[in-house]
Amino acid sequence: MMKTLLRAALCSLTFLAATAEAGDKYAVKAGTIVTMNGESIENGVIVMEGGRITAVGSEADVKIPWDAEVLDVPDLVAMPGFVQAHATGGMDRSNETIDVAPFLQISDSIDPVAFFFEECIRWGVTTINVQHSTNCVIGAVGMVVKPHGMTVDAMLVKPRSGVKVCVSPKSGKSRATQMQILRKTFGDLKRYLDGVIQQKKDGDDTARREALYQGRELDGEKAKGRAMKGEGWKVDGLELVPRGEIDEKQEPLLAMVEGELAVYINCSVPMDVPHAIELARDNGFLSSTVLVLGSSCWKAADAIKAAGVSVVLNSTLVHIERDPVSGEEKETFVPGVFEEKGIPFALSPVDNTTRGLWYQAAVCVGHGMTRAEALAAVTTTPAEILGLTGRVGQLAKGADANVVLFSGDPLSVTSFVEYVLIDGKLAYDRSKDVRTKYLLEGITPENTASAAELDEAPTDHNGSSGEDDDENKDDENKDDDSKEGGR
Amino acid sequence: MLRITATRQVAYRVTHRFTQLGLWACTTLWAGAALAQENDWTVHAKRVYTGSGDVVENAIVRVTDGKVAAILPGRSAPQNSLSVEAVTAGMIDASVRINAGVWSVEQSTEVQPQRSVADSIDVFDYRWLRAARSGVTTVYIAPLDRNVVGGTGVAMKTAGADSVDGRRLESKPIVRGAIGTDPSGGNSAAFGRPTSFFNRRPTTRMGVEWEWRKAFYDAVAAQRLPERDFEGADVMRDILAGKVRLCIQAWATQDIRTAVFLKEEMMREGFGEIDLVIDAAAEAWKEPQLLVRTKTSVILPPHPGSGRARDGAFMSINTAKVLVDAGVPVALSSHGARDAGERLAAQAGLAMRGGLTLEQALAAVTTTPARILGIEGRVGTVEVGKDADLVLWSGTPFEATARVSGVLVDGVLVHDPR
Repeated sequence: MMKTLLRAALCSLTFLAATAEAGDKYAVKAGTIVTMNGESIENGVIVMEGGRITAVGSEADVKIPWDAEVLDVPDLVAMPGFVQAHATGGMDRSNETIDVAPFLQISDSIDPVAFFFEECIRWGVTTINVQHSTNCVIGAVGMVVKPHGMTVDAMLVKPRSGVKVCVSPKSGKSRATQMQILRKTFGDLKRYLDGVIQQKKDGDDTARREALYQGRELDGEKAKGRAMKGEGWKVDGLELVPRGEIDEKQEPLLAMVEGELAVYINCSVPMDVPHAIELARDNGFLSSTVLVLGSSCWKAADAIKAAGVSVVLNSTLVHIERDPVSGEEKETFVPGVFEEKGIPFALSPVDNTTRGLWYQAAVCVGHGMTRAEALAAVTTTPAEILGLTGRVGQLAKGADANVVLFSGDPLSVTSFVEYVLIDGKLAYDRSKDVRTKYLLEGITPENTASAAELDEAPTDHNGSSGEDDDENKDDENKDDDSKEGGR
Repeated sequence: MLRITATRQVAYRVTHRFTQLGLWACTTLWAGAALAQENDWTVHAKRVYTGSGDVVENAIVRVTDGKVAAILPGRSAPQNSLSVEAVTAGMIDASVRINAGVWSVEQSTEVQPQRSVADSIDVFDYRWLRAARSGVTTVYIAPLDRNVVGGTGVAMKTAGADSVDGRRLESKPIVRGAIGTDPSGGNSAAFGRPTSFFNRRPTTRMGVEWEWRKAFYDAVAAQRLPERDFEGADVMRDILAGKVRLCIQAWATQDIRTAVFLKEEMMREGFGEIDLVIDAAAEAWKEPQLLVRTKTSVILPPHPGSGRARDGAFMSINTAKVLVDAGVPVALSSHGARDAGERLAAQAGLAMRGGLTLEQALAAVTTTPARILGIEGRVGTVEVGKDADLVLWSGTPFEATARVSGVLVDGVLVHDPR
């Protein structure tokens, strides 16, 4: 840290950084590079500069710049960082009480030091699309982040990555109510736009005064009007209305209808899928829609295929269904259904410790998928869903320099993430990660007896020593835990 | 890729194994199998992990009448054989609670070693087939942890006959109880009026420990003083005499110590040596020597991901490794996860993540639990003459990239790899 500071200070003081700043160039020499962009490379080199990959290839083909910092790890396997196409962690709260809330920004909710992000980087996830959770009608505008940086701005990969829409009802609502609110929201948008256009035609500048009163800026693009785009419905005359004058509660909805803001529609059961597709088609955002699916939604795969949308699967990869009459069980390997239909799918982790994205990809291989297909579902496919193809999810020239180094086969239970580079800088080093060390090995606490002490049986003992001072013993969870005893 | 298993067929064949002598012909015709008897199979695997230290390559395992009849190395797969990547013995889960939910908690007394969980088991429960299909072929059904001394458990197959006795394995009787907050948790409030007729004692860890000691002291005293006698005292004396094994659930270090010190106290008093197993010993890694000293075996609960287990215990991923290295017999378990045994293979994989070799992980889900349950003569290894309980794997066992693709229980295919 001191070194970096000194270096930065020297640079700025002396030469105004005429040459490239030292530390800006980084190279990794790895035993194997799984590029997710064609063949894997044995004994390969990845060169990074300015946060981007400048070259990937075999040691013979790629020259490492003389001034690059080199991480020489011939025993490790390099992978692009995993991409999570839909996540609901890392926020102070993941839902709003307001039903329709796309005027809110996820960036206001993201906590850069949330444990969630620490866990992401620890298990190799370097790109995360943070979206509101499922207890909403229309959620806030989400963003894509990397799990590294002290501020939300520093974590930013892609702003306005999309809006969460739930067809499955928010708690306390029926599906009928939920759908009615959704239809009404877009009906209201149309009426609002008609009204604001009419105001312009009438020479009424209420919208303008309202915008200025709210402190919105009305210069540049915001000062211009533009005809409405979109594949669904349109209103005529929107070019009369400067975009900055459009109410901020309606603006994200308009962006959805114009196809400029992706829509993540949550469907928890198959019956939600046709509703989601209908909503998206009626309002013109089908081509920018991604379905976030519950495990039984494989049953709607034909409808999904016909609509031509991509999907994010939930963490349950094997859907078990019990016949309501006979009680017999039927198992369905969910990703297999989508693979067979040719529907692009991204996987979600069970948790971010022992069953992360690598584990989900491994389970897919266990069910007969090829490694390339399984790995694509945690790298290139989610990157494509997020509109970040070429930028994340693969190790190729021009891509963000997000590299994960595994101790062995990335899909093996015995492999660990040893290093993670984000934007070409070392962001994680397992040898310095106390929490992983603790999770893996534990730490023998003070006051527990050593092996030598225990070789002799105590001569005087009352049977309940309990000298343990582990403060977690007083954890409040204890009561909750014991109430679950029915398992 | 859509995998819909003919569960109707499987369930039928499993539950009616003993009544279908006249039916097997049409069953097998329907299933299209070319084999003479439904518990006769020829299994071919690239690797057979026998569990007795050998890995036999390109081997045929011949199953006749529900038993392993031959293991022939260096063969290619014959026609009509079940051909897979790897074969291991059926997994054994030493801590399962199918049909031992809260409704099986006896309210009348805390100490009830004479009661058997066998009377609450429903062999038609859907979870049996789920367990079997996950590769778990033998389980120990433990009484629930809400009584101090909960009763006698049952070691049985996950598939087969449609009665508990038909599936049961002859094993050393094992009484199971608990130390920690489970037997006291949920009992009545320490202050105020009782909230229900069913308010019970004990209400604290101290109370739980007292119940254990009182049961043992009373059982010994009852031999001379009839007024100290109680129902089940004879079983408690059998535990002290080592005729009945004692399995105690204890998650945290303090509770593991209590269990071990209880055994040592009984020895000091000259009452006898308890044959002790500690179940759900999440924190056993902290003091392995304590277990070595008292010749205690351990059953581990599933790793909770974050490491935070119940009763405030922390379970590190290398728990099994630490214990195996110290010489403690370790069995992995699903510990009554809602879908019994579902995750046992995954637990073995996690134990490998913590440092166990494949052989050691295999032992922790086969031979070691077999020895803990006293059924190693029949199950736990792929060996000529033993029960044909086999798990057929699509890859290297316990890796996340491998799946349990087939399962035989007593030679009957309950999960078809084809």
